[in-house]
Amino acid sequence: MAIDPIVHGYVVKEEQYPDKAVIIEEGSKGDWAYIVLQGRVKVVKKGLKGILTVDTLKEGAVFGEMAMFQKGEAVRTASVIADGPVQVGVLDRERLFDAYATVSTRIKSLIETMIDRLEDTTNAITGLIGKQPGAETDGKVPH
Amino acid sequence: MSERQPPPPNLQLSYRKGDLIVKEGDYGISIYRILKGKVGVTVQSGDKEIRLATLGHGEIIGEITFLNREIEPRSASARALEETEVEVWHPSRLALEYEQTEPIIRYISDQILGRLIRMNKFIGQLGARAFKKPVQPETIASQRSFYRKELDVLCEYRPLDIRKTAWLKGRVRNVSLSGIGLDVGAGNSLNFPHELGKVFRVRMTLPNRKEVEVDAKIVTVRKSGIEGRLDVGLAIVNITEEARKILGFFLMP
Repeated sequence: MAIDPIVHGYVVKEEQYPDKAVIIEEGSKGDWAYIVLQGRVKVVKKGLKGILTVDTLKEGAVFGEMAMFQKGEAVRTASVIADGPVQVGVLDRERLFDAYATVSTRIKSLIETMIDRLEDTTNAITGLIGKQPGAETDGKVPH
Repeated sequence: MSERQPPPPNLQLSYRKGDLIVKEGDYGISIYRILKGKVGVTVQSGDKEIRLATLGHGEIIGEITFLNREIEPRSASARALEETEVEVWHPSRLALEYEQTEPIIRYISDQILGRLIRMNKFIGQLGARAFKKPVQPETIASQRSFYRKELDVLCEYRPLDIRKTAWLKGRVRNVSLSGIGLDVGAGNSLNFPHELGKVFRVRMTLPNRKEVEVDAKIVTVRKSGIEGRLDVGLAIVNITEEARKILGFFLMP
């Protein structure tokens, strides 16, 4: 799949990761965003009973944008790891912030609402899987 | 909708505890911003409701359907958990603002939207497997009340429990997704009494010229201010998906 030129124009750096490499770590700080240029990544979260994959993102998908557009401290809400060898682009943080600054208040509140909701939903999923009888467990994941 | 007409002003609505503001599966593209109160967002999973979020002052309801731009039913329900006031944003006004948004932001916003929809579906599936008991048994049909729109159109109705197929005439005074308020003559050619529990088929042409037919049961009967007329409240008991869609769009504040 070709990457949309709209977003390709924002790529300032390309990075390669081998399979299973951690691109973003849950709980760490950071407010820049990436795009998957080639390959796939998994979005994973720590649950009570282990690490859970909540989503898989393909070429063209942006990730890390939640911390970017959210108010307050930019903490990563989930980890993103390479699912096979992957090439990602780092998006131009300054230009993205500039673009976001021109967005109307109401559209901003829509986007921020979606981000909050996505975070709530992802947390709820982690909680649900944790409670599921017979859920896979690899035991001692600190949380 | 003409481009030249100014968009309608933002509307404020009040809800009581337990009222549904948005119902999963219904059609409608208005966006609501909470001015006061608390709102629970839930999805149906089997016969249970799973609470996705509790929203308060300043938070938004209905952003998914708006941004999705496709005519799809609401992906989650929103219910007032206490006395709640909301401001309704008309979608056409907001659509204009969205068109003026930088393409890169729209690109990212679409991605967030897609993920949110996926996650909501995922949690619905998970919930069905994960729970034996209801998580939050808050679906009580009688708690449901909807935004009711006042109108005045002619309608035809006929009782479903008699064999005659003659239609009676009445006026529709208000309509919601759950009920209809009719103004009818106390006496009628079928000598049919308007009693609680009777079910009618009602057909009407809405002001937007769409025709809707539903089956509805009498839940209230009151004497109207006018001699020989009755105010009859009916609860919808049977509605096709198509009719629900037409009503949903008509009811959009």
